[in-house]
Amino acid sequence: MRPSPSPLAPLGLTCCLSFVALSPALAAADEEAQEDTSSVFVIRAAQVVVRPGEVLENTAILVRDGRIVRIAADLETPDGAVEVQGEVVCAGFIDPWSALGLDGSVLDDRSSDAATRTADGVDLFSNDHLRAEALRAGVTLARLQGGYRAAVGGLGAFVRLDPALDSASEAIVDDSAGLAMSLGLSLPGSMRFSRGSDGSLRMLSGDRAVDVFDRVEAVDRVAAAIETGRQYREREVEYRYELEEWQKAIDEKTLKLEKDFKKAKKSRKKDQDKAEDKGKEFKEKKYKEDKRPRAPKFNAERAELARVAAGETPLVVEVHRASEIRNLLEATKGFTRLRLVIAGASESLSVAAELAERSVPVIVWPSLSGTSRPDELSASDLSLAGNLAAEGVTVLLGSGGRDAAAARDLPLLAALAVGHGLDPELAFKALTSLSAETFDLADRLGSVEIGKDADLLVLDAMPFHPGASVRYVFSGGRLAITPEN
Amino acid sequence: MLTLLLTAASLALGGESPPPVVPPETLGSPKTVFAGTVTAFKASRLYLGDGRILEPGVLIVNDGIITRVGGDLEIPSGAALIEHEGCITPGLIALHSTDGVGAELSDTTRVALPDADASHAFQPLDHDFARARAAGITALVLAPSITSLVGGQSTVVKTHGGTIVKRGAHLALGLSSDALNSGRFPTSYDGALGELKRLFSDPEGPIARAVAGNLPVLMAVNTRAETRRALRFAAEFQLKGALYGSTWAEDLSLEIGESGLAVICDPFDVGDSARSVRAVLALAKAGVPFGFGLDAPGRHPDCLRFGAALCVRAGLDPQVARRALTSDAASIAGVAGRIGRLARGLDADLVLWSADPIQLTSSVEAVYIDGQRVTQH
Repeated sequence: MRPSPSPLAPLGLTCCLSFVALSPALAAADEEAQEDTSSVFVIRAAQVVVRPGEVLENTAILVRDGRIVRIAADLETPDGAVEVQGEVVCAGFIDPWSALGLDGSVLDDRSSDAATRTADGVDLFSNDHLRAEALRAGVTLARLQGGYRAAVGGLGAFVRLDPALDSASEAIVDDSAGLAMSLGLSLPGSMRFSRGSDGSLRMLSGDRAVDVFDRVEAVDRVAAAIETGRQYREREVEYRYELEEWQKAIDEKTLKLEKDFKKAKKSRKKDQDKAEDKGKEFKEKKYKEDKRPRAPKFNAERAELARVAAGETPLVVEVHRASEIRNLLEATKGFTRLRLVIAGASESLSVAAELAERSVPVIVWPSLSGTSRPDELSASDLSLAGNLAAEGVTVLLGSGGRDAAAARDLPLLAALAVGHGLDPELAFKALTSLSAETFDLADRLGSVEIGKDADLLVLDAMPFHPGASVRYVFSGGRLAITPEN
Repeated sequence: MLTLLLTAASLALGGESPPPVVPPETLGSPKTVFAGTVTAFKASRLYLGDGRILEPGVLIVNDGIITRVGGDLEIPSGAALIEHEGCITPGLIALHSTDGVGAELSDTTRVALPDADASHAFQPLDHDFARARAAGITALVLAPSITSLVGGQSTVVKTHGGTIVKRGAHLALGLSSDALNSGRFPTSYDGALGELKRLFSDPEGPIARAVAGNLPVLMAVNTRAETRRALRFAAEFQLKGALYGSTWAEDLSLEIGESGLAVICDPFDVGDSARSVRAVLALAKAGVPFGFGLDAPGRHPDCLRFGAALCVRAGLDPQVARRALTSDAASIAGVAGRIGRLARGLDADLVLWSADPIQLTSSVEAVYIDGQRVTQH
């Protein structure tokens, strides 16, 4: 920024602060940590599953400071490094739909909105045993989602399940992991009634639809919410354009005034003297460029919805009935940038072709619930994952986001899905790379590649094959589970 | 006599002609498996149910009864041959369930109903049984609700054909808090035990048979204290039978072992506590015979296998787990002479799996009850 000469003082030149200075300090900290060999591991395995379908034979992986730094057959173990051996190494399993680590009040919250962050409600100080069990089962990362009962549940969070991590900054990998909404979930026991002006009793359900007409409206509300986000983004972009234009105009004017600086100064002095003579107050000359474009009023909810409309944050909608899924697909057709993810989708088989065509991933919850379940889940079947995959739908597998302890059993539920027709390789993909890709974590997680976080499993056999028990688990480069502990 | 029958069958059908190889998928209709015919099942692996494995194995079934089991048996001429690449096990047995009985088996107003017979609530055509079959379950124990002190007698049924394998399998006793607090007498543990002792001290009918050791009891328990109380009660009246409820059995496995009682484990579900799993491991270590409850239709029939898989993942010997689902379960239900194993003379209740049933990735490819194919795939 250059100093502005006095005639230009009224021009509201903006000032921007730079935070660039912070990053070198971080880099220095990284370098220091590299000296510590206690975080260096070499994992040797007969088979390394780089990503689903890509296997390296007799390979070693060097892990340093939480990351995979080398993968090679002829890797020597550095001094002081810990060596681990096993049959198969693959990426840690990811549960994209979990409740593990959420306080009950966060999970059941019905007042959440688009700006509510599940990350703020992650409780790392209880249920350590559940995290340890999940980790032992191979689930290293979970996407937690609060407010599943609410129409808008807010932003999900990806959290490492290593119980040794007790600070949010270490455990939370992503704090805006999809914006959650839900459609047509029944809420037994939470219905409220109000008496209308005509004395009739009317059922209230908070923000949630319970009857069929309400449900149609609920789909419209989802679309309307995305539309407000789209408009908000449009206004933001407009403002940015106006601001640019304004800046340009100011620059031009500045240039012009600088060119005629002496003349302008003289003229200003003259005006000043004249005012003094007449005993009047001197007024600076007004320029039309003074008028700064007005920034749109900040709205936290709309800002998040804007990110959803622009495809920066995926929209995860839990919806089960075929009619609602179809309506949702129809209502969101116009939002070309929207990245829709459907969770649950019990009755989605009849709309599988559309889901495949629109490339909408589905988080299937292979549930073992019996016949007494809410009606929207009545069609839920263990064969859903296999059937959807056969229709070309991208299938993720999650533990349902209601029961914290269920994350531990996700690999078993995935195995059941395999038993009911899902290809084992697709099941493995569903638990690793697909979750990472769907939620923009693929540059860090979901595969075994140089530079990726070392969330790794060492197993006795290929995942979803007989004898595939987990022996070692690495979480963020820490050896968290061994056969001994 | 069976060999005679086989010879007769082969003579009648011309003797020398090679056995017809019929692909399993065409065997759905009763037309192909006709009565009086010999069927041979040949599989890559047979789990006999008692822990033994045959690789490969052949099973000869005549009129719904297993007549021979062996590693490399000659297929009788004239027999329909079903070749299966995968495993065959005896049908799974769920030890505690309420499939197809609706609201029956739960009498909330009465304290003791020793004469109530669960077989009267059996509705064989209910869709619950089709779901159970699809999960490889060929028999289950319909048990009275645990909300009465004496709930009545359980019954063992097959999931196809309306067959009642055994009436009066157990006398169901409620020793958990579920039998209390129902707004009727008794409302406390001591009240409940006092009433039970009164009934068992001057026994009549089924209770007298239980005291005489002729009718096993099934004692529902939840907590450690309830388990201990049940063990003491059984010892006092020298009762035989099983505990229903294993969650807290980890520390009590030795005591349970000494009591001679078997255990029916609580049904397992997703996310169940590690304690329940450790309890099963402890029971296995103590040599206590155990099987799994299911309590369908409130639970998914696959919960039966899920529970076994959960325990195997935690270190239970797969062989013990497979026994718990078949032969041990049959012994606990008192029907080991008819079902639960692949052995000569037992009912041909079989499941054709893609692989080991303990692996949840394995799928049910066909189910046979009394030698008849009962699933459509």
